[in-house]
Amino acid sequence: MTHEFYLWMSYGVFALAIAAEIAGLALRKRQALKAVEEERELEAQD
Amino acid sequence: MSGFAWAFARDLRLAWRHPGETLMVVAFFVLVASLFPLGVGAEPQLLRRIGSGVIWVCALLAAFLSLSSLFASDYLDGTLEQMVLSPRPMIGWTSGKIAAHWAATGLPLTLLSPLLALQYGLDADTVAILALGLALGTPLLSLLGAACSALTLGARGGGVLLALLALPLFVPVLIFGAGAAEAQASGLSAAPHLSLLGAGLIVGAMALPPAACAAIRIALD
Amino acid sequence: MAWSYFSSPATFYRLARSLAPWFFALAALLAAAGLYTGFVVAPTDAQQGEVYRVIFIHVPAAWMSMFLYFVMACYAGMSLTFNTRLAAMMARAIAPTGAMFTFLALWTGAFWGRPTWGTYWAWDARMVSELVLLFLYIGFIALANAFEDSRRGDRAASLLALVGLVNLPIIYFSVQWWNTLHQGSSVKFTGSTMHVAMLQAMLLMTFACWMYAIGATLTRVRSVILERERRTRWVRAL
Repeated sequence: MTHEFYLWMSYGVFALAIAAEIAGLALRKRQALKAVEEERELEAQD
Repeated sequence: MSGFAWAFARDLRLAWRHPGETLMVVAFFVLVASLFPLGVGAEPQLLRRIGSGVIWVCALLAAFLSLSSLFASDYLDGTLEQMVLSPRPMIGWTSGKIAAHWAATGLPLTLLSPLLALQYGLDADTVAILALGLALGTPLLSLLGAACSALTLGARGGGVLLALLALPLFVPVLIFGAGAAEAQASGLSAAPHLSLLGAGLIVGAMALPPAACAAIRIALD
Repeated sequence: MAWSYFSSPATFYRLARSLAPWFFALAALLAAAGLYTGFVVAPTDAQQGEVYRVIFIHVPAAWMSMFLYFVMACYAGMSLTFNTRLAAMMARAIAPTGAMFTFLALWTGAFWGRPTWGTYWAWDARMVSELVLLFLYIGFIALANAFEDSRRGDRAASLLALVGLVNLPIIYFSVQWWNTLHQGSSVKFTGSTMHVAMLQAMLLMTFACWMYAIGATLTRVRSVILERERRTRWVRAL
């Protein structure tokens, strides 16, 4: 295993983790907004 | 202090009348410790090498098993709420319950450990350090476990959540306790490990009952 | 304007929105500068060759994992003392980012350990306590979400965060107390001190990770606020 392999595995997974977290943030925001929408519809039904 | 004595006596009496819990913990301890030689092979040198560590892990798991019942039965039938509402200071009877829990689980484990150590062929000095480490460590496990058990009263995910919280906190106790026995077995002094365990027990005995009290109050709000 | 103006979820929601992009931008700039310094300016190490450059993400990740836990525990303490909702929401918002940095510290550490010490993992004090830290983060998230009543989850998880705080000095001082595999706190490579460019790169990357963590936390807390406050008038009026 060359030293490049270890560098790539480290930096690569680091970049992947950051990307995954940002994607997760966007997903959570979308889910939160959807929950707010549902709440608004429930109120409109009253 | 009367709250402590009352809760200690009450829980011990309950444990005496329903010995199932204690017997289960002890049986688990003995069973699992007996499984290891069957699994890894009964070669004496190997067993002597892993013995103290295995016994410690089994004691840890057995102590963990009994945690969920520490506050749960009182919580479910409302007794816990009554105790919180009583004019006695909470810390007294909480400490009493934890002490009784140790007397019914950790103490039997500690007393049984020399027998299991015989199974693993450990020499007398190591057995003594092992038992001493358990005597210091199991109360600390009861204290840590009580705080975690109080935090998870009535939570979803039950036993697994309790394991996730309690086992990482148990890790330092395991490291120092098993480390003490290992040190003794390899001819070094076990004193540093044991003194750290002792120090941990003192700090835990002061800081963890209030944490458990806070957790119980959170659970009952 | 008193700072307490921002302790209401409604006002903090707007503040977080305007602040978060700046922190992300700052993080990107600092990371660019740090990576440039680390890969172009800093020389090859005499003993470890190129692979030492992992420290430019390993050390920042490890420092962040501990620092974020400390900040999370501070918010937890605040939420228990003052019984405010927003402090508990901030603690919940920090936890996933903290857990991510802890995982990255362990992962990059493994891929640095293999070529330099010959092993991905060793049961030495610092690595074990960092692993315990990861479990503490996961336990915090699990406990916070284990109850129907989210306020109960807030309080229980906050108490857990405070109890687990004792792990931080263990991680930090473990390399002094136990002489095992992990190297001492001052990184020693060629000669007695670290090359100045290596130190600069490491510090730049640390600040980059810190700014990123703030940005991510502010973004996440906005979602948490929306989830928790969705029945209030101001959210429905959004």
